[in-house]
Amino acid sequence: MIVHRAESISTLLIVSACLATWGTGCSGRTSPAAAGGGDIIELTYWPAPNPQEMQLADTLVSRWNRLHPRIHVRMQAIPVSQSTEEVLLAAIAGKTTPDICSNIWPGALHEYTRAGGLIALDQFRDFDSVALARTPRDLLEPFRSEDGHYYQVPWKTNPVMMFYNIRLFEESGVQGVPRTYSEYLEAAKKLTRDLDGDGQIDIWAGERDIRPIWWQRMFDFYPFYIAASGGKTLFRAGEPDFNDDAAKSVFQFFQECYQRNYFPHTYFQGDPFLLEKKATNFSGPWEIATLRTLAPHIRYGVTPLPVPDQHTGPVYTYGDYKNIAIFGTTKHPREAWQFVKYLLQPEHDLMLLTITDQIPVRGDLLTNPMFAGYFQRNPMMVKFAQQAAYTRGVDAAPDLKEILDAISQEYEACAVYGKISPGEAVDDAFRRTKMIVEWNK
Amino acid sequence: MRLFRIFHPRWRKRQRTGYWLTLPYVIFFGMFIAYPLIFSFILLFHRWNVVTPMEWIGLKNFERLLSDPLFFKAIWNTVKFLLVHIPLQNVVALGFALLLHSRMKFRGFFCAVYFLPVVVSGVVVAILWQQLFAFDSGLLNRMLTALGIRRIPWLVDPDIAMPSIALMATWKNVGIYIILFLVGLQDIPHELYESASLDGATGARQFFYITLPMLRPTFVVVVVLSTIGGFSLFIEPYVLTGGGPMESTLSAVLYIYNQAFYFNHMGYAATLGFVFALIILGVALLQRKIIEPEPMA
Repeated sequence: MIVHRAESISTLLIVSACLATWGTGCSGRTSPAAAGGGDIIELTYWPAPNPQEMQLADTLVSRWNRLHPRIHVRMQAIPVSQSTEEVLLAAIAGKTTPDICSNIWPGALHEYTRAGGLIALDQFRDFDSVALARTPRDLLEPFRSEDGHYYQVPWKTNPVMMFYNIRLFEESGVQGVPRTYSEYLEAAKKLTRDLDGDGQIDIWAGERDIRPIWWQRMFDFYPFYIAASGGKTLFRAGEPDFNDDAAKSVFQFFQECYQRNYFPHTYFQGDPFLLEKKATNFSGPWEIATLRTLAPHIRYGVTPLPVPDQHTGPVYTYGDYKNIAIFGTTKHPREAWQFVKYLLQPEHDLMLLTITDQIPVRGDLLTNPMFAGYFQRNPMMVKFAQQAAYTRGVDAAPDLKEILDAISQEYEACAVYGKISPGEAVDDAFRRTKMIVEWNK
Repeated sequence: MRLFRIFHPRWRKRQRTGYWLTLPYVIFFGMFIAYPLIFSFILLFHRWNVVTPMEWIGLKNFERLLSDPLFFKAIWNTVKFLLVHIPLQNVVALGFALLLHSRMKFRGFFCAVYFLPVVVSGVVVAILWQQLFAFDSGLLNRMLTALGIRRIPWLVDPDIAMPSIALMATWKNVGIYIILFLVGLQDIPHELYESASLDGATGARQFFYITLPMLRPTFVVVVVLSTIGGFSLFIEPYVLTGGGPMESTLSAVLYIYNQAFYFNHMGYAATLGFVFALIILGVALLQRKIIEPEPMA
């Protein structure tokens, strides 16, 4: 009996010890040095889980670990889920966040900071000099939180632009690239074709995912709204501010695309642009790598998004920003900040460009000789680098996901099914957004 | 004297055994019924996204509910579903029950076949029907086009999607109601039919004047159960349509689920659930009042 009890107690102690060790989580563990005495600081870094960024992270982390034997970084892809934001929120709730993550979507930052999940980066004395040496102030400023602190440092952006298939344009007799809604609709009339005369359209002018999924609007309504409004986002001074002609013109444009059958009312499995079943595609620079790998035979061009006919000035768009943040669970904020600074170095931005074909948020991309070779080899990326200066992110508004969901539903009703007018769609979306914002106050 | 019995050692021991025996249910009740209920009630007055601390917001959740067009649309969608589902369920279940009640071969086999979808997982059934309903490649539309009939946009037309889901839900659940009607039919005394036959009543008259009135208690059970089941419509639209197209299949429970687990609005979802439960209670009471026979004086 006594033996049994002793066994139970020892088992309990072992289990407790294991749990205590495990309980330190993935954050900032300190382990004895393998040689030479002292402690090795261990940091955990979560990059985005796509293969290119994993490869980049792997290279950067290996190099860091060679250069910094006392600060060991462990790279681990963000666990697979429906979205990174869900994973990070769950990790904040469970206090299992990494030390550093480089896949922070600014739209979810409000949730993270409200949960106390991130540390302010401007607490580090050299934050301003590091951030401003890389990013111009006007591009940095939108990432400042309501409380005046920076909890994120902008890392990369993916401006949404229009890809077009040169062969399909030539075959349809479309001269020049459409710049305005009228020009696009005129071109779409020629581009949409039934090749075999069976009554079914074989080539579409364009196509968008018709499902009312909130993030799909980041590739149609939202960038088109930024473009049509000359660089406005959905909010101004914390209040919704999109009940205007620009929003109506965007709904009107997409409604016409669907009503005139230039866009299909169906959901495609796979990317019809890669299959040359659609002539234009609204996408980011990652599409270049996809085209190079999966459809190298396609001749394509890249141009800014179409805008309303009366538009003047530069064409802005949505830049799908992904930023770097340090989580509050870290036991080594100073060392984590050192690693963040390492990620932001120019030679690593060049690796970001080379390996992932994504645009670092730098002011000197087209002037720094370090990047000149890359842009010479990849002339198409110059367009994205030029566009990067005219991008907007998302507002740090609460419940942005639900707001975009509300816009998605109006997009479906107005543009895809044509059941309501653009004016009604904008009014309804605005009313629901106001309700969501009021509830959050 | 009885008061002192509780201090008697044997009595106390017996009582303790009783308490030990009830303990599993008490724990179950506490964990899975009492605690969630009390917690949901607390949530009615809070904003909580699971991650950040709960925030007291008074009646703001109720204020939002009153100005939330999507909740009322979800309720209306659920009512539309019930308007198709309940009559269809009753007619189909009664029809099959009458067939099975007659002297037919392989009765047990058919009973088992009709009951089979009830025990199959709802998700499996929904995925199966998703394949059947597919606009371009679905079996139903391929059969229609083979017969020279135009394809039906079962799940992609906002006007047809909810009736399509009601059709599928009827197929899934009809087995259990067939059994209920069968039990009801077997309970009707045979003498009533004999006497009606002697008086010259036709089969149809016997059905309308004996079978249907005698099945009234069964109808009450079937209507109330299928109403409650219909109000909890979730798996079918979740798997088949995600609530679309144009929110035409967004049921109340799916909307509550979205608010809770998609947008992390636990407090608001609890409020929606509370109001929805009150609506179901009201409808069930109303149905009982209308359908249930008056008690004998």
